[in-house]
Amino acid sequence: MKFRIHSRLPALLLFAFLVPLAAVRAADLPALFQERVKSVVAVEFFIETELDRRPTVTSAFVADANGTLVMVPGVIDGRVQSSQLKDFRVYLPGKPASEFFHAVYLGQDPLSGWHFVRVEEKLRAQLTPVTAFAATSALAEPAMADDYWGIGLRRKDEDFLPYFLSGRISNVQSLPERTAIALAELAAPGLPVFTRDGSLAGVALGGFGSTYLQFSRSERGTPVMLMNVEESRVFQLVGAVLPWMSRVPTSINGRPIAWLGAYGLQPMDPEVAAFLKLGNQSGCVVSEVLADSPAQAAGMKDRDIIVAVDGRPVPRFTPDQVAVSYLEREILKRKPGDKFPLTVLRGSERVELVATLADQPKLQREADRKYFEKLGVTVRDFVYGDGVMRRVKPADQRGVIANFVKNNSPVGTAGLRPDDWILEVDGTEVKTYAEAVAKLAAIEADATRTDFVLLTSRNNATAVLRVKLK
Amino acid sequence: MTRKTLRLTALVLGLWATSTPVHAAMSRGFNRLLDAVVRIDVREETFDSGAIRFTGSIGSGVILSDDGLILTNAHVASPRAVELSVTLASLERVNATLVGWDHWTDLALLRLDLAEVKRRGLKFTHAEFTDSDKLYPGETAYAVGTPFGLTRTVTRGVISNVRRYFADNRGVEGYETGLFNTWLQTDASINPGNSGGPLVDEDGRVMGINSRGYLGAENLGFAIPAKIAQRIVAGLAKDGRITRSYIGLVPGSLLDLESFYALKQNTGLLVNSVDPGSPAAVAGLRGGDIVLSINGAPVDGRFPEQLPPIQNLIASLPVGSTVKLVVKRGEQTLNYAVVTEELKSRQGEEWAFEKWGLTVRKVSRAYARENQLTDDTGLLVIGVQPGFPAAVAGLNRGDVVTKINQQSITSLDTAKKAYVAFTEKPAPTLVEAQSDRQVSLYILKP
Repeated sequence: MKFRIHSRLPALLLFAFLVPLAAVRAADLPALFQERVKSVVAVEFFIETELDRRPTVTSAFVADANGTLVMVPGVIDGRVQSSQLKDFRVYLPGKPASEFFHAVYLGQDPLSGWHFVRVEEKLRAQLTPVTAFAATSALAEPAMADDYWGIGLRRKDEDFLPYFLSGRISNVQSLPERTAIALAELAAPGLPVFTRDGSLAGVALGGFGSTYLQFSRSERGTPVMLMNVEESRVFQLVGAVLPWMSRVPTSINGRPIAWLGAYGLQPMDPEVAAFLKLGNQSGCVVSEVLADSPAQAAGMKDRDIIVAVDGRPVPRFTPDQVAVSYLEREILKRKPGDKFPLTVLRGSERVELVATLADQPKLQREADRKYFEKLGVTVRDFVYGDGVMRRVKPADQRGVIANFVKNNSPVGTAGLRPDDWILEVDGTEVKTYAEAVAKLAAIEADATRTDFVLLTSRNNATAVLRVKLK
Repeated sequence: MTRKTLRLTALVLGLWATSTPVHAAMSRGFNRLLDAVVRIDVREETFDSGAIRFTGSIGSGVILSDDGLILTNAHVASPRAVELSVTLASLERVNATLVGWDHWTDLALLRLDLAEVKRRGLKFTHAEFTDSDKLYPGETAYAVGTPFGLTRTVTRGVISNVRRYFADNRGVEGYETGLFNTWLQTDASINPGNSGGPLVDEDGRVMGINSRGYLGAENLGFAIPAKIAQRIVAGLAKDGRITRSYIGLVPGSLLDLESFYALKQNTGLLVNSVDPGSPAAVAGLRGGDIVLSINGAPVDGRFPEQLPPIQNLIASLPVGSTVKLVVKRGEQTLNYAVVTEELKSRQGEEWAFEKWGLTVRKVSRAYARENQLTDDTGLLVIGVQPGFPAAVAGLNRGDVVTKINQQSITSLDTAKKAYVAFTEKPAPTLVEAQSDRQVSLYILKP
């Protein structure tokens, strides 16, 4: 295998010099394809919940020589805890799906959203990092109508057979990374896209849909959005994604994650910008400044409009929403402890603020949790975000959240629902997660117990629930 | 029975008609009652499409007095009604006006245009109430009204239950109902259009006012008991409205929780929740408390059916009066004095800003509480008209307009002033609105 790579490359290069251009096009693509297939794999993993174990299959590219694989952001729900991710398996395209290699999950990079996985040593020699195909000098931005190509993978039952995809560039825009949109699908989401001569041009993005009208016997022309989950027409350009390749998380939770605490950033349309005399730039409204956050400490107020970062005006993007991603990237690019100078518009006044970014408070997916099988409930730590959602001041945060409620279980029958906030167990307040777990564990262990009582809160209204155990 | 919720086919109606034979000789009282039942045609404004629109509907009603007071449902005749036309038993049509309404009990009171009645020499009778406290399950009951516009339809059944509990937070045109009363349940057929008509005994005495039925169920109809109706009628005739007191306690039934709270059976009212910011919350009451007595009188809230009378006890106190509550919390017995406020609906006033193509509803405290808004500032967008400034700017139904031209919208009047300014001198207007706590800015352009 390894021999073949080395022996074929010089031959190809020589070939390119000798033969006229048109002839190269016809001849070299299969060879280029064979080379570059070595930088893509299929990854399967399982998300374990209280009741079941669900497989996810996705494609990934090889980021470096250490067997680091990258999967696209959307592949794992943000609420899933890393401990729920089990049994990562890596499959080589076109090899029997009965053969696989083990891998471990490394975490998600907060800036790119990429999930990193590392495959076991014995497979690494058979892989080629996509960076090996990066052009030595900066690649020119794709020009309209240029041909680009990439790799698609069939499904598991077809041994993840790799196949060729290609499309011509339709346009390039900032989202906020420079992103090209092609006329046809040119790679599976998360897989690399190449120029005609095989240089790495970018990484395909999932999540773009097209609107169609659906006609049926009973309905005439209902608009539906269709999304091709197997192939993508959109890719982020190599200039944007290459620096991300080395952002392998050092902790499984992707920490540190720089945090400002300006909640609900909302873009504005050009009409609003013109009304606010912002000229050709844009800005984002801060819906709320979160309690005890760097934004609050810096003196930011609810409804401030962020118009510049570090003295650089927030550019105008199309669509308007991209301005929000731009600002979020500006934060996530930095590290906790970094200074973050901002200009905000407050009424008609421009105010300069300097926030010192902090590490993001514990996220829902990082919260401790415990499943009480007999009671039918998983409780988890009340984290900062729970306080935000429920408008609870950090000082008043207590109790636990029902993270999962089993149907027809004792607590399910009593009326508890996921996301309910448990304030009291058996008439006494539960201040901490540990207290709640100890109480529930004691109840679960007590075989003589016939019932217990919960005080819960949902939508700002409390309720007393009696849980019958027998 | 709301006309808007239940749809039965004409075929089914036909079957029922043939299975309802009238065999007893008609009593004088019943005959007289038939002449007191009217059909009510309503034309009302709706605000849910970004403009004022008009809809028409049909209900029933019963004349209560010689001076032309007519009792019907609040969901038939509401303050949104712009035209109320009453068809008397003689099939003559007379206009009427709304005297008052009370969505909590789903009752409304109209008055016939007596001058017109006199001028045209029209005749009508009025109905008598019976004591609804003495009704028993199995007692024969007749529903009289205008189902689907079929004037003077009589259906027969029995009283199925004399004390049915159900409360609905949006049951009457989006307004709350049923928190302060129980209902009579009957299996006499009640269909859309029966709403507001009387449920009567064999002598034609009014047992209750037919109000609603279960969607998809057969003959599960509900009526407001006569005793409650009489009290509401007196209040509406006098003031045009019923004023109630509010302290913010949300009760739950104790059912089998007595042992947990170490209570004697049939004692105490469980506090499920206390509305944030309400008088009870300010006084210090909490969810999980047990109210043992209200103003010295012991309370028993073991079953859901027992809750409306207790709620009504508090609601009937004068606004601003002090309620003394004895409360059990764990081992402690605590005394609270809570000063009542006036009860307000979760449904705020609606309005149309027609040149903006925008219809709104004032955010109420209850709405703000349910939707995690910081306070009741703002107007909830309930409709935008395509192509008009609000829709063009990007406002959507469900957004809450909190500022117009940097001014906080604490009342409908503030917005009306901004609108008048816009209509007099059209200029781009900056609107701040939030949706799901996300604040965005919009420009209304002339």
